[in-house]
Amino acid sequence: MKTIARVLLILTLGAAPAWAVLGEYESSVSLDTQFMRGEDRVTSAQGYKLHQITSPTGAVVTEYVSPEGKVFGVSWRAPVIPNLEKLLGSYITPVQQAAQAQTRRRGGSFIVRASDLVFVSGGHMRAFHGSAYVPSLLPKNVSAEVVR
Amino acid sequence: MTLKRHSVVPLARLLAVMGGLIFVVSCSGGGSSTPTPTPTPTPTSNSVDLAVNLGPNGDYQNSLFTSVEVCEPGSTTNCTTVPDVLVDTGSYGLRLLSGAAGGLTLPPVTDSGGNDVQECIVFVSMTYIWGPVVQADIHLAGESASSASVHIITEGTPSPAVPSSCLPANNQGDMNSVPALGANGILGVGGLPQDCGSTCADASNGYPQYYSCPNGNCQITSVPTTSTKGQVWNPVALFSKDNNGVLVSLPSIAAGGAPTAAGSLIFGIGTQTNNALGTAQVYAVTPDQYFTTTYNGTQYPLSYIDSGTTILSFLDSGSLGGIECLDYAGLYCPATPLSFTVTNTGTNGTTGSLTFSIENADSLVSTGYAAFNDLGGDSGNGGSSDYFAFGVPFFYGRNVFVGIAGQTVTGVSNAPYGFWAY
Repeated sequence: MKTIARVLLILTLGAAPAWAVLGEYESSVSLDTQFMRGEDRVTSAQGYKLHQITSPTGAVVTEYVSPEGKVFGVSWRAPVIPNLEKLLGSYITPVQQAAQAQTRRRGGSFIVRASDLVFVSGGHMRAFHGSAYVPSLLPKNVSAEVVR
Repeated sequence: MTLKRHSVVPLARLLAVMGGLIFVVSCSGGGSSTPTPTPTPTPTSNSVDLAVNLGPNGDYQNSLFTSVEVCEPGSTTNCTTVPDVLVDTGSYGLRLLSGAAGGLTLPPVTDSGGNDVQECIVFVSMTYIWGPVVQADIHLAGESASSASVHIITEGTPSPAVPSSCLPANNQGDMNSVPALGANGILGVGGLPQDCGSTCADASNGYPQYYSCPNGNCQITSVPTTSTKGQVWNPVALFSKDNNGVLVSLPSIAAGGAPTAAGSLIFGIGTQTNNALGTAQVYAVTPDQYFTTTYNGTQYPLSYIDSGTTILSFLDSGSLGGIECLDYAGLYCPATPLSFTVTNTGTNGTTGSLTFSIENADSLVSTGYAAFNDLGGDSGNGGSSDYFAFGVPFFYGRNVFVGIAGQTVTGVSNAPYGFWAY
């Protein structure tokens, strides 16, 4: 994890419109700048770039964009679970289906492995985290590991 | 159900007797010099029974249940005792199904506009609870939290409707009944005083937790962090004493499980003879209530201890060779028992190793038992999405202390955001 962080080539490009939707183009942005009320920092890494949006309340949402300009992953670390409908777009469906199919709350984490979505929701009250990525959209030579 | 409960009672009595014996021994041991007649105040009763059974819906393994008495504020007669409330060290505050608190007239907590406050809580599993925040006196053993804010979970269809901003995945399940929740409520006794904090004190932060619904239109509203007429508080932090944390004490159980188990939830740390830290190691936590678990040289910095998690949630099925159960998604079904040794590290530098095992969840659950120390499941999908959540299996055979952030515990330093000790 630390190795990857060191490899990151931090290029601050200044404020950019925030929050693209999983599976859509980076230009499909700005649905939810208001929800986050956050600052967007764009950085480049090997084979992809990422938008990291930090809100004044401590929520951090990161979006991972392929060289083709598509959002292939999102992650969050926030006091409440962010609006996943807006974050996941059409990929929300398997998450909704899995949520409905649950039988008993166990705590721990909630994981969905669908045909073209891997979704993880974890943490506890006041400190949630999670991630989602679309395997078929992963850029060449980029591991799903980067979505964290 | 009745039979199982019957078997719990003698165990609880046995524990009480053992506690009394320990007390007597420590008194005589300390009396080597001339006895000084020090007047000792009558100790407050600070212990409630914990029962591990399948709960009121008969399907909730590894959940700790207790009873909570709630009264109309200031009343000693208009009270009700709610059984089968889940004890959760991973949340903060008392939440009760509306039916369980029925019959009491509990005044609403209102916002600055005079509108009743409603609360939305979403769980990791995308399920949620919704309903009004009211004031009640909470009694647990001899301890009291007066005019505490309590979250009432609206059973049935709420009116006005739950606002969409409360629902991150839009159509997830409402835990608004005993079958859905598996309990009559949740008693959150974790390491923080309030269930939100300063963020919810200002609605302009847009935090989707506290709402008011004038004219049926629910909007996020500001709710202060004050100990009364404000946010929902961990009731322990509101006690007049024994308010710096809790001790969860459960007996050892055998591998393969036990039909039921019985233990104690003890209030205060180092405040009475029954809650001394003793030899427990103190692991301070981050502001987000995490510590670091290290396994095979990899650090997992989002790890935690939680009585509201019913399993050992750790690593992932893929990295463990594909041991996910076929019928229980997210649980582990190894062909033979697996053992793991990990190291936990607190923010205060305390480090200690820990060994646990998991067995086939299919075989375990098919026993019909309620208590298992070897039930596991995955935490993530590999790599950095993984972590270690030490749920109820971890608690068996241990005294697990939860220190509340900002409170003083004798002998504990460098733990500004609280701690776990075991």
